[in-house]
Amino acid sequence: MITIKGNQIEVDEDGFIADPSVWNEDLVRYFADLEGVGELTEKHWKVINYLRDYYKQFGIAPMIRKLCKETGFSLKEIYELFPSGPAKGACKLAGLPKPTGCV
Amino acid sequence: MLFFLGQIFPYIAIIVFLTGMTWRVLIWLKAPVPFQLTLFPAPQTFAGRVRVIGWEILSFKSLWRGDRTLWLWAWLMHGSLVLIIGGHIVGIYTLTRQFTLIGLSPAASSAWSAGFGIAAGIICFLSLMVLFYRRTAITELKRLSDPVDYFDLLLLLAIVISGMHMRLTSLNIDLPAIRFYLAGILTLHPIPIPRTWIFVSHFTLVNILLLYFPFSKLVHAAGFVVNRAMVTEKPPIYPTPASRVGEARFKQGGRIE
Amino acid sequence: MYVAKPAELEAIGLTYSSESAQTNRALKIMSELRTSMRSLMVMLETCVKCGNCAQQCHSYLGTEDYNNFPAARAELMRRIYKKHFTWSGRIFGSFVGAEEFDEETLGKWLTYFYQCNECRRCARFCPFGIDTAEITIMARHILSELGILPRFMQGIALNMQKTGNNMGIPQPATLDSAQFMEDEMREETGLDIKIPIDKPNSDILYIPSSADFFTNVDTMLGVAKMFHVLGVNWTIPSTVLEAANFGLLFNLQVMRTHNLRLKQAAKDLGAKLVVQGECGHGWRAAKMYTEGCNGAFPFELVHVLEYCAAHLDRLRFKRLPWRVTLHDPCNYSRAGGIVEQPRKIIRACVEELVEMTPNREDNFCCGGGSGILMDEMMDIRLKLGRKKVEQIQAVGDIDYLAIPCSICKAQIPAVMKHYGLEKFEMGGVMDLVGKAMVFDQ
Repeated sequence: MITIKGNQIEVDEDGFIADPSVWNEDLVRYFADLEGVGELTEKHWKVINYLRDYYKQFGIAPMIRKLCKETGFSLKEIYELFPSGPAKGACKLAGLPKPTGCV
Repeated sequence: MLFFLGQIFPYIAIIVFLTGMTWRVLIWLKAPVPFQLTLFPAPQTFAGRVRVIGWEILSFKSLWRGDRTLWLWAWLMHGSLVLIIGGHIVGIYTLTRQFTLIGLSPAASSAWSAGFGIAAGIICFLSLMVLFYRRTAITELKRLSDPVDYFDLLLLLAIVISGMHMRLTSLNIDLPAIRFYLAGILTLHPIPIPRTWIFVSHFTLVNILLLYFPFSKLVHAAGFVVNRAMVTEKPPIYPTPASRVGEARFKQGGRIE
Repeated sequence: MYVAKPAELEAIGLTYSSESAQTNRALKIMSELRTSMRSLMVMLETCVKCGNCAQQCHSYLGTEDYNNFPAARAELMRRIYKKHFTWSGRIFGSFVGAEEFDEETLGKWLTYFYQCNECRRCARFCPFGIDTAEITIMARHILSELGILPRFMQGIALNMQKTGNNMGIPQPATLDSAQFMEDEMREETGLDIKIPIDKPNSDILYIPSSADFFTNVDTMLGVAKMFHVLGVNWTIPSTVLEAANFGLLFNLQVMRTHNLRLKQAAKDLGAKLVVQGECGHGWRAAKMYTEGCNGAFPFELVHVLEYCAAHLDRLRFKRLPWRVTLHDPCNYSRAGGIVEQPRKIIRACVEELVEMTPNREDNFCCGGGSGILMDEMMDIRLKLGRKKVEQIQAVGDIDYLAIPCSICKAQIPAVMKHYGLEKFEMGGVMDLVGKAMVFDQ
């Protein structure tokens, strides 16, 4: 359990929120600090919003290559925005479940 | 006491050995192999399997590819044991005259028999000592070993030492009497055991080994073949051939036990 | 290691045994397994403690933890087994190496049987061919039946249950991703190369690793291009978007269920030939376990590398000017019989192939084998991957490391990155096919 602005939010052992529907923008700031993301710029939000929209539509994170293409950022740039990477960093901030499997 | 050791115990030992080993192998073979565990590179034919398994028995190839020192002493120990057992069979049966078959005189044959026997005995003794030492000296091996691993080596050492003693102090050994006695055992007409204490102890130790064999890790003699047969099995063919459809390996009932 | 909680277990059909019931249940399952799996009995009973396996196990060499020495790892189960299932063990106890469960036993099983990568290298050096991987598979199965397993495995099993693949990719997402990949290929080649999903009456059923639909896209593109050039009627089933079979890695019943999906998909889509994608243990499970799991399998089954190598003369390449080395996945070499095919393909696609040492069936595991890809185990994974990293470094300067297995593709770059050594590209073998392919316009 983590507490953000008085609200208790359940996270799993990897620190990803257990229920994607409780996501809000305060959460993003909280995770950003944890994940070593600096100031949240427009670029960050572009990635986060894309991820959330895709997840809402398809119930899973998008292919990384598609994420790069649709947001216009290279993979290297995404690592610069989110040091833990698209799966472990960006998806966490976007409140998606952690991608699992052979990744 | 001598009656028990000479005319009862050998039968108990041999029966326990034969039924025990058969029992172990049958229990193993009764358990199915639901999934092929082929370890590649694997032979493609039955003859190939026999060749691969046979070569492993003869050369201890997997040890050679790993720890060469272990290979040397394990190979020497097993090799000399084979020579000793074979030498006992032909040497006792022919009363050391086995080499007359290749043209030597009886006296020369006896000398060769003694020579081979002593050489094999020394190599066996040395290798057992080295293997024992290794178990105490190599840290991981020492930690891995159980008391019984040392016991097994000591039992074998006792047999080799008592046997070597017989060979090296052969003045007291009446080989024809021993042959006669062993023939009595094998033909189920047991006679009193020759009263040489060194022969009685050597023979009894061997019987103890036989009795002990099926309950110990010495079953690796049979386990080797059963396991190797399993890991050299051919992989399945797909589509499953029509002839196999009925008896294709399959665990019934929805659960793999 | 994060362990699955009771509610999580129930979601995949497992139950948690209370601590007082655990040892009895473990013994019951061990008793059932030993009479239904010859390997367990023979392998536990035949070890003579020669110790040859020690210096050959990357797990022991990398972690320097005694319990990771293969014979010692097997001892964790063997001692209990001897106590309960052998006469000498029952009577002579610790003299013969028999021991009763204590409070630490199952904890040690969880720790150490999840530090074995099930790579089978020890079996290559054991005089009897004893396969510690087999004992690990049994131990993990027993643990899972007691409700003890990593949360990582549970999460994957849940995804497999819901969607038929490890990542939990639902069918609409599969279609969207396929569409995206088709667009990418059109942009790149100008050709209309398709990735057909759920096309009925297909001749070939291709089973990718789900990771090929997330991170390892180049592998999927290479395969699609190959099928396109060969002009075959192929499809991918959305119900089994997974060559992997994690059941093999923690619970045999889960393995069986997933394997059945494969048979069902082949039947539903009318395929005659099933082609498995770049997944190591999945290949072993498909090739070796299919018949035993679900009876007669009336389809041909090959691996994509076998298929590609067999059709190489019908594909045209412009060799990439690269120096490439190949990592032989354990489940291809030791457990799957695929050794020369990736080499044949790589030689057709690039200028130079250099071999690692040792290679082929003596290759070292990447350290991620058997699903040890948990983030929380990174420190262990780094140690397990140490021998592999040394091997790669010893090859010298290379442009590309060919890794034809999804787990290895996840493990090796992560480990190399931690050692600061990821100076070159890493990817599958079919990736090279895609990159080097030239199309007759």
